[in-house]
Amino acid sequence: MTTAALLGGYRRDERRRAILLAAACLLLAGICAVDLATGPSAMPLAEALRALAAGPEGADRTLAAILWQIRLPTTLMGVLVGASLGVAGLQMQTILDNPLASPFTLGFSAAAGFGAALAIMFGAALPVAGWLLAPAAAFVTTLAAAGLVYIVARLRGSGPEVLVLGGIAVLFLFQALQLLLQYMASPEVLQQIVFWLFGSLLKANWTSIAVLAAIMAAVLPVLARDVWQLTALRLGEAHARSLGVAVTGLRRRVLLCVALLTAGAVAFVGTIGFVGLAAPHAARALAGEDQRVLMPLAALVGAIMLVGASVLAKTLSPGAVLPVGIVTAIIGVPMLFALVLRRGAGERS
Amino acid sequence: MNRLTAALAAMLTLGCALLAVVPSAEAEIVVTDVEGRRVTLAAPAQRVLLGFYYEDFLAIVGPGAMDRVVAISRAPWKDWRPMQYRAYAAAIPRIEALADVGSLDAGSFAVEAAVAARPDVAILAAWQFKGLGPAVATLEAAGVPVVVVDYNAQTVERHVASTLVIGKVMGAEARAERLAAAYRAAVEDTTARVERADGGRPRVYVELGQKGPAEYGNSYGNGMWAGVIALAGGDNIAAGQVASWGPLSPEYVLASQPEVVLITGSEWLNAPDGVLMGFGIEQGLTRERLAGYPGRPGWQDLPAVAGGQVHALYHGGTRTLYDYVYLRYLAKVLHPAAFADVDPAAELKAYYARNLPIAAEGTFMLRLAARP
Repeated sequence: MTTAALLGGYRRDERRRAILLAAACLLLAGICAVDLATGPSAMPLAEALRALAAGPEGADRTLAAILWQIRLPTTLMGVLVGASLGVAGLQMQTILDNPLASPFTLGFSAAAGFGAALAIMFGAALPVAGWLLAPAAAFVTTLAAAGLVYIVARLRGSGPEVLVLGGIAVLFLFQALQLLLQYMASPEVLQQIVFWLFGSLLKANWTSIAVLAAIMAAVLPVLARDVWQLTALRLGEAHARSLGVAVTGLRRRVLLCVALLTAGAVAFVGTIGFVGLAAPHAARALAGEDQRVLMPLAALVGAIMLVGASVLAKTLSPGAVLPVGIVTAIIGVPMLFALVLRRGAGERS
Repeated sequence: MNRLTAALAAMLTLGCALLAVVPSAEAEIVVTDVEGRRVTLAAPAQRVLLGFYYEDFLAIVGPGAMDRVVAISRAPWKDWRPMQYRAYAAAIPRIEALADVGSLDAGSFAVEAAVAARPDVAILAAWQFKGLGPAVATLEAAGVPVVVVDYNAQTVERHVASTLVIGKVMGAEARAERLAAAYRAAVEDTTARVERADGGRPRVYVELGQKGPAEYGNSYGNGMWAGVIALAGGDNIAAGQVASWGPLSPEYVLASQPEVVLITGSEWLNAPDGVLMGFGIEQGLTRERLAGYPGRPGWQDLPAVAGGQVHALYHGGTRTLYDYVYLRYLAKVLHPAAFADVDPAAELKAYYARNLPIAAEGTFMLRLAARP
């Protein structure tokens, strides 16, 4: 094969990937438009667009409230949370070198649930607005869990086995604490805790969007700087080291990034877990291992999955609120099965 | 050989003794509880294990009722209605000293503790009876007959049947019959007035006010408040949307344009934004917590908010012998002309004054004044 042929193949690949990213962006924009246009008040699309254009202070106050205070925050939150979880899941799979990994692998979701339960049960005593309390507590406990894993990684090196075992210990610790709280809670409080765990985009508001956007703005550049190293790590730790990647430091840095993204995502909407597992696999099946494309694509696929689930939930049950976490898992499972079956067939031949 | 004879003799004596304590048929009380079970008691119960419906038991049995209770399931009272529990415990110190058999919800209901209290009857709620399952047979095998009552069903028939069952078990038939008749009359009077009223069925939105205005709480599509709204002649916007309870979509609430909004409050200990109501809660606090709801996005143009029809009702106000006062409050909100001469708040006070050892002091129902 000549150099020119190789170069041509590479260029073709690059073009294909650019088209892939553009198509994913378009699909996301389309699904967001559908999400903004659907809702139980059944206003025609034109009216919805007019209300959107009129701004939050539009003449028809009810329409303005529906578009700007209810639909738009939910949609944007779906995009941000889906993208965060997509990226966090991808990098967790990368640093743990494990296809089963997700943002919640190292006990992060149990920690978030424990934090929220703590706030729901005992938060009344604190002089903090009630609606901010559970998110803040979930955020802090998720970071605490990440901190525990990080300390283990510092003491014993950050190999995947150490991280996974440390993470499992953290998982059981927070799960036990959360169960203890649930045991102590009265039925009404218990129901609140369980509903928090379901995950719901309805808790979205402009504050939560700002917080999550800020986290992404801080974390994504750090990860973007490491795309080549992360791609190399997928070749295996020994290969990556031989290519000059400082694997230990990379793992710790990425672990913190994943913790921040996950904490921000779960704090406001609860544990919507499945996106973080399925989106990276779907993105990898489409784009391969090059993180320059894989990372943005994982984010886009995560956002598409979550906003799509939100549209589906609204269509299935217009009046009542169907927790989007449950819907995501239900529509995500066939997707994951399809991926597994496709890959299995490829390996056999 | 000698030892064997002695053992046989002892067993025989024991057998005879057991036969002797079985009472003669003439003195028996036979009740059929709300589950259709026939239960036989030797005499009106003097040592009661009380599972739930503490207030209704107190009202039916009258003065000295608690002196005949030896054990309760404490959590459903102390944890679910803490301020109410405190008010009763202050009036009747014996309540704090009663044996606790644990709570079904926490999985701590201990049959051993129930038997150890040596009750001569256990009065349980239907949900406790179903939840206990085989443990009921264990209780009965240990000599504690179980009588089931049910006010959670919220039907006049079950309310009346439950009241008469407690009256018979406790030998308080006269009070039970008076209370049951009063309950039936109050509900029938309400439905008759609703039927006579004209002006259609206003759209009603009910929400559990535990989470505060920042987040939409549960609404009721069936049972609980949904039953009260239907009986009071309202059109419940949650009907057909949520199966029994669950939050409605904020947009659906806006699109439904409810004409009356009910936020239900209770004595929650850890609901920093929740609408607090019940015993010992000042009206000002309830109003302050309720005041945030009309400020929700898009709510200022809802007919209910514009028309000043945002109300708070005590969440514990269903499933008791006096729950008709909340039914009548809502019916009056929906059909003011037909209930012009009805004062539900005064009816509540009167019920407590006549039937219960404490006064109804606190906030149980109020209307949020329209904003200027």
